[in-house]
Amino acid sequence: MSTGRILVVDDEPQIRRVLRATLTAQGYEVQDARTGEDALMSVRNSRFDLILLDMNMPGMGGLETCRSIRSCSEVAIIMLTVHDAEHDKVAALDAGADDFITKPFSMPELLARIRAALRRLPTSIEGGAESIRLDAVEINLATRRVISKSGEIRLTPKEFDLLQFFVANPNVPIPHSRLLQAVWGPDYGNQVEYLRVFVNQLRKKIEPDPSKPRYLLTEPWVGYRFALPAKIAG
Amino acid sequence: MRTAPSQSRLGKHVAARNNTVAPRKTQLRLGSDAALDRMQGGLCGEDVRPRGEDLGRIGALLAHLGLGLATIAAITVLCTRILSVNAITAGFAYLLGVLAIATSWGLAEAVVASIAAMLCFNFFFLPPIGQFTIADPQNWVALFAFLATALIASHISDRERKQALEAKARQKETEQLYALSRIILMTDPAQSIGFQSAQHIAGIFDCPAVALYDAKSGEIFRGGAEDLLEVEAKLKQVVMQSGSLQDSAAHTVVAPIILGGQPIGSLALKGLSLSDGALRALLNLVAIALERVRTEEAANRAEAARQSEEFKSTLLDAIAHEFKTPLTSIKAASTSMLSDSGLPESGLSDGVPLSPQFRELATIIDEETDRLSLLVTEAVRMSQIDAGKVRLAREPLDVADLLRRVLSHFESKAEGRELKLQVDAGLPAVYADKDLISLALRQLIDNALKYSPPGSPIGVTAGLKDHRVIIRVRDRGPGIPERERERVFDKFYRRQTTKTHVPGTGLGLYIAREIARAHGGDVWVEGEPGSGSEFCVALPLQEPEKPSAAQEREK
Repeated sequence: MSTGRILVVDDEPQIRRVLRATLTAQGYEVQDARTGEDALMSVRNSRFDLILLDMNMPGMGGLETCRSIRSCSEVAIIMLTVHDAEHDKVAALDAGADDFITKPFSMPELLARIRAALRRLPTSIEGGAESIRLDAVEINLATRRVISKSGEIRLTPKEFDLLQFFVANPNVPIPHSRLLQAVWGPDYGNQVEYLRVFVNQLRKKIEPDPSKPRYLLTEPWVGYRFALPAKIAG
Repeated sequence: MRTAPSQSRLGKHVAARNNTVAPRKTQLRLGSDAALDRMQGGLCGEDVRPRGEDLGRIGALLAHLGLGLATIAAITVLCTRILSVNAITAGFAYLLGVLAIATSWGLAEAVVASIAAMLCFNFFFLPPIGQFTIADPQNWVALFAFLATALIASHISDRERKQALEAKARQKETEQLYALSRIILMTDPAQSIGFQSAQHIAGIFDCPAVALYDAKSGEIFRGGAEDLLEVEAKLKQVVMQSGSLQDSAAHTVVAPIILGGQPIGSLALKGLSLSDGALRALLNLVAIALERVRTEEAANRAEAARQSEEFKSTLLDAIAHEFKTPLTSIKAASTSMLSDSGLPESGLSDGVPLSPQFRELATIIDEETDRLSLLVTEAVRMSQIDAGKVRLAREPLDVADLLRRVLSHFESKAEGRELKLQVDAGLPAVYADKDLISLALRQLIDNALKYSPPGSPIGVTAGLKDHRVIIRVRDRGPGIPERERERVFDKFYRRQTTKTHVPGTGLGLYIAREIARAHGGDVWVEGEPGSGSEFCVALPLQEPEKPSAAQEREK
């Protein structure tokens, strides 16, 4: 019995080889693809739980492949980036990836991210509201959709889980570690920088002015706080 | 009428007249006669007309006079012997004759013919016939009529001729300017534009000597068969004064080349006569040609520089990628091996745990992989800095926020050690590249953690001094002696005491300082040996501070 079906997309044969070896050893079912085009074909033909996608590929690059896959599937995508710069990470998330990891990475770290990406919080929160309105943005917790003036905004599963956690714990400061462990899993406790990138992405999507957040507030030194307006649209 | 044969000679004589103008035209100055002279004297006039030409003129004049008189005589004969007309008809006949002579030749011939006609008219037609009766007023009317006709007709025909010549000259100038414009804008990039311009001007305009002075490069280019002597001083003078010089004795014109209201050079022409309009057009053409070449050169240089930059950056990126790719596989494999739990359900080892020796070897692989990876990253960054390729994406940064973020990066690595942060209140924002400054600060804090005893605290402070924000990272390590304080910033320099134990590439401080310097700041180290080191980063403020406000903030 496999713990999940993973598609590895990278133009480097040795990387495909080492990932296949280690992921198989962990109990995953692994397929691989050499290019973005091959990856799209594989995604169309079979169902996958997660895709490991290299950002630096010739031809159809990683970002474009990610966007194409994202346009027709909700499968979890983790991008393998080359540079550690923030704009690369943001580019990966903007293209629709759920997560990213910088090469060269340690295998345990990648495995932790895979586990986090495959994890989903339960959709309903006990005693919680069905949908929430923040200014021009409406968040439907049941259908996991966010609708704004310009249309429907897609949140990655991680982003949605993060938002859901905030909504379930409004108006109190939440430490970084608590957020990380609740949404990403027990392996994540202290990657504050990592969390920051995701919170910023979420702000970009639901805040009217992302540079001056009104709802997703930073609690200096501690973590974050979700300022939920007193009146919640039912 | 008799005008037919004289018209057939009209064409020939118009051509001949081009060389016989000046002395006899003294009474009819129309416009710039000097220009007219030069035009009609040929566009390659010599300084002194040869004597042969003068003789030719006199000969032609005498010939015309003779022919004029012959015409009058012929009219007389016709009217008296052959046709027997009355005085009125004869008068008209003479008038026509004088008109024809005036139109065909010129005033002088016409005046002489007028007098002859008057005399003939008087002798043969006015009573008493066969005698000259000068007292008769009819004589004077006739003479006056003939002279007036002569004057007016020759004047008109002269003017026509002159206008035709001028139009021709203009047309020729226009054609020459057009030819020059076509050729000068298709220049050979191998040769200098100044040189080619001078050559083309000499060739197209048939000019004996041309000198072109390019004020920007200071060079003088020459064209034409002859040499313009002592013209350099004049060329430069003309540029400074922005006015042209004309030397009629030497038949030289020196004029400034003006572009956008500023003189960019000057042009000297010898033996070439152009109308003012044509000269201005010529100067403009040269100005445009010079400027066009310069602009093209500048654009080419900029493009070459940009392509070289792009190539370098692509090369560095490619190098980084090439190194990191195999490192990725190695690290994934080694960390996999190390993380294998050895439990029965673990896939890798089928339940057999790794022996300590194996584990040790796998650890070594993992550690050295990390070291290589760091080296690649830093070496590429160093190359970028050295190539001047580091492009700063500057933005206003809040110092407290920046430092908090940098320190949060170390929360796990600090292993329980105290990281104290103290930022002065009201510290203004710095204008810096977030990623690069964070990198520089991380480097300093990393060093502080590595080179001080485990468990000892690290202090980070930020304050304003001399219109700069100074960030200090203080540790309680051994400190750095005076003589090494500059050397620690050298590439690959590692202190003797720590070479064996502490991991590192020796590039970190070099990179940190270069980053600070790229922002207009600096990094240096202070502190007493034995009581720890204090690394200081100075960054300029977003905007120049007003002195009073700065003093206020400095506590």
